[in-house]
Amino acid sequence: MNLQNLSIKRKLTLMAMLTSSLALLLSSAGFLIYDLVSFRKLLSKDLTTQAEIVAYNSAAAMAFKDDASAKVTLSALTAKDDIVAAVLYTTDGRVFARYFRANNPAAALPDHLQEKGYRFAGNYIEVFSDVTLSGERLGTLFLQSDMQRWNARARQYAGILGIFVLISGGFAWFVSSKLQTLVSGPILHLEQTMRAVSVDRNYGVRAVKSSADEIGRLIDGFNTMLSEIQHRDKAVQRANEDLKTRTKELEREIIHRKRTQEELLRAKHAAEDASRAKSAFLANMSHELRTPLNAIIGYSEMLEEEMRDSGEAENIRDLQRIQAAGKHLLSLINDVLDLSKIEAGKMGINLETFDLQPIVEEIVTTLRPASEKNSNRVIVNLADDLGSMHADVTKVRQILFNLLSNACKFTDHGTITLDVVRQTRDKDWITFRVSDTGIGMTPEQQFKLFQDFAQADSSIVRKYGGTGLGLAISSRFAQMMQGYIRVESKLGEGSTFTVELPATVTAVTADVTPPPAPAPVRQERAETTAEVLEMNPNADTILVIDDDAAVRDLMTRFLGKLGFHAVAAENGEAGLRLARELRPRIITLDVVMPGLNGWDVLAELKNNPELASIPVIMVTIIDNEALGLDRGASNYLVKPIDRDRLALALDKYRTRPVELGAASN
Amino acid sequence: MRRLRLKLALAATFLICGLQARAQNFDAAGSSEYLVKAGFIYNFAKLVEWPAASFTSSGQPIVIGVLGSDSFATTLERVVEGKKIELRPFSVKRLKSLKDPKDCACQMLFIAAAESTHAEEIIQLLRGASVLTIAETPGFSKQGGIINFVLEDSKVRFEVNVDAAKHAGLNISSRLLSLAKIVQTNMTVR
Repeated sequence: MNLQNLSIKRKLTLMAMLTSSLALLLSSAGFLIYDLVSFRKLLSKDLTTQAEIVAYNSAAAMAFKDDASAKVTLSALTAKDDIVAAVLYTTDGRVFARYFRANNPAAALPDHLQEKGYRFAGNYIEVFSDVTLSGERLGTLFLQSDMQRWNARARQYAGILGIFVLISGGFAWFVSSKLQTLVSGPILHLEQTMRAVSVDRNYGVRAVKSSADEIGRLIDGFNTMLSEIQHRDKAVQRANEDLKTRTKELEREIIHRKRTQEELLRAKHAAEDASRAKSAFLANMSHELRTPLNAIIGYSEMLEEEMRDSGEAENIRDLQRIQAAGKHLLSLINDVLDLSKIEAGKMGINLETFDLQPIVEEIVTTLRPASEKNSNRVIVNLADDLGSMHADVTKVRQILFNLLSNACKFTDHGTITLDVVRQTRDKDWITFRVSDTGIGMTPEQQFKLFQDFAQADSSIVRKYGGTGLGLAISSRFAQMMQGYIRVESKLGEGSTFTVELPATVTAVTADVTPPPAPAPVRQERAETTAEVLEMNPNADTILVIDDDAAVRDLMTRFLGKLGFHAVAAENGEAGLRLARELRPRIITLDVVMPGLNGWDVLAELKNNPELASIPVIMVTIIDNEALGLDRGASNYLVKPIDRDRLALALDKYRTRPVELGAASN
Repeated sequence: MRRLRLKLALAATFLICGLQARAQNFDAAGSSEYLVKAGFIYNFAKLVEWPAASFTSSGQPIVIGVLGSDSFATTLERVVEGKKIELRPFSVKRLKSLKDPKDCACQMLFIAAAESTHAEEIIQLLRGASVLTIAETPGFSKQGGIINFVLEDSKVRFEVNVDAAKHAGLNISSRLLSLAKIVQTNMTVR
């Protein structure tokens, strides 16, 4: 049994009982020892007295030498149980008379007489006493007593003590088990309360204080602690509820926001749809607008030439005005189309490596008439180490063209400077800087400069023309090629536009427009007509596939002038048939056609081993050069047809005059 | 009769033990028997109280009168010489005869066997006097004597007449009485 693990109740009871029992035992033992010691003294005194009496009574007998009487006197000691032996000695040491207790006749007698007095010898008390008569010593009495009285008393007392200790121990147990509740009661109560608190998690219960002692203070402390815990518990609960409410509010908020988000998303989709619709509309409109414009420009050019040939000079100026107006309108439409393509994300970039110098010179040459119009001087500074560039050449050309033509437009009798340098920073950069000494811009105007449809001032549009889209488009193009355009300008002093483009543009995911859905297939086969407008057997044959009669007409006439033998087909099927029959030198191909569209025809051509080698120049409203080139087109021209560029493109494939001559011979 | 028996016994002893033993027996005063008797007389003094009138001062000696045996008187003198009882020394007085109580002037009186014929006479003479009378005559106590020596198995014993002691105004200790043979005064003899 481990004392430590006993309950407090038992411990207290045991403590009180053991303490009291021990105290009682000790005091009783002390008393017992004291009693036994004094009893021993008493015994010895008793014996001494006894001896004195016997000696007194024996004195006369000794005096009168009456040993018989002395024996009688001694035998009176029979009444004393504890006296073992009594001997009377004469003064000279002889035994005068003696007595032995009946059951102990062989008691050990002392060897010699000793001084009067008592002494303890083993289990016996021995007393020597003088026998005197009227002061005269007659002899010595020896008395020997055993300790049986003492032993009996010791046993008896020990027994009594034992019983007493047992009884008082029991009593102490009883009393302490009653009294211990004074201490253990509150503690047990506290313990029960604690258990109740920890089991039920009920912090509302309180221990009852029943005393003002340490336990009372303990209970006070416990209660205070409970109150604190209860308080905190409530605070935590409140916080939890608060949190729940807030969480609910947040959930509501989130739901609300999600709803809003969905609405926004729907609105966005709607807006995007609308934007796409707008872009599609614009693209369609541009296409629709360009088709008649082709005819206007083409026929006015032709008319001008014919009039020039026939000498009717008076109408030439009017025709030139028609041409100029048509071309302006065309550039507006092109810009709108470009921007709508960019906005619709359908503007891809077509990367190729090209030498910078020829491109720059070509643009400058193209712009010469515009610069001369305002009597501007154009200075071109090309760095020696320009080398080549890997970028979308068309877009680089368009950016430079735009910036230079703007400079020419807003400068009168001034100087326009183009600097082109190669710089190496994190990588190689090509910097085009176009400076003019023109009208310049205010900071507000500069700020609006690159925004769509935001020309510096509407009055400027009226005065200088243009759509105001050129810079926005150029800026977008530069961004598409990981570059940028920045401007520095001072009103009245001029402007400087700087274009920074990486020397090597890395391809970003080219957003390639899938081929347009084929137009509804016409069930009746289109009547295929091959119009041979101008036959020149020696000339290279060019097959023109276009569903627009005006285009076919213009193309064949223009090609004829260039010295080609042009054959036209009004749809894809006819085109393919003619291609197989004629094996033309070059094929020009429109995309948007009823029945087989241009892409299908191109695929057919490229799949046919016999026809695959024939160069195909796409001439179309669809501005997707990348796709065209990717599918095997040799060149890509966007309508309306720029005669100069068409001539340039055709020139590459023209049979050499020497060869022609050899062939004709 | 006792006396006769003693003498017969003594004669027998004499016959057996030879001349020296006989000489001792007849020289009574110096024999061991008389030495014992002298010691007894001394011890009697210890155990008997006399009335205050017997002594005039505290240092007054106890006078022992010896009638009829000067040799015993000498033996007695030797025994009690230098001894004191409560400051009182002893004095032995040799008496030839006793006709007047005033002749005695003693506290104890030993009447030797030679004077036994006068014993009754002396008892009468000393009636009322505080004298402890001691004799060695058979029947002495019965006649009114206070202490009488007797021989029992050759041991000296004694008889005490308590009444006589009372008449004499003497107080005899019970311790002495416990050793003695108590005897009443025989009226018929008287």
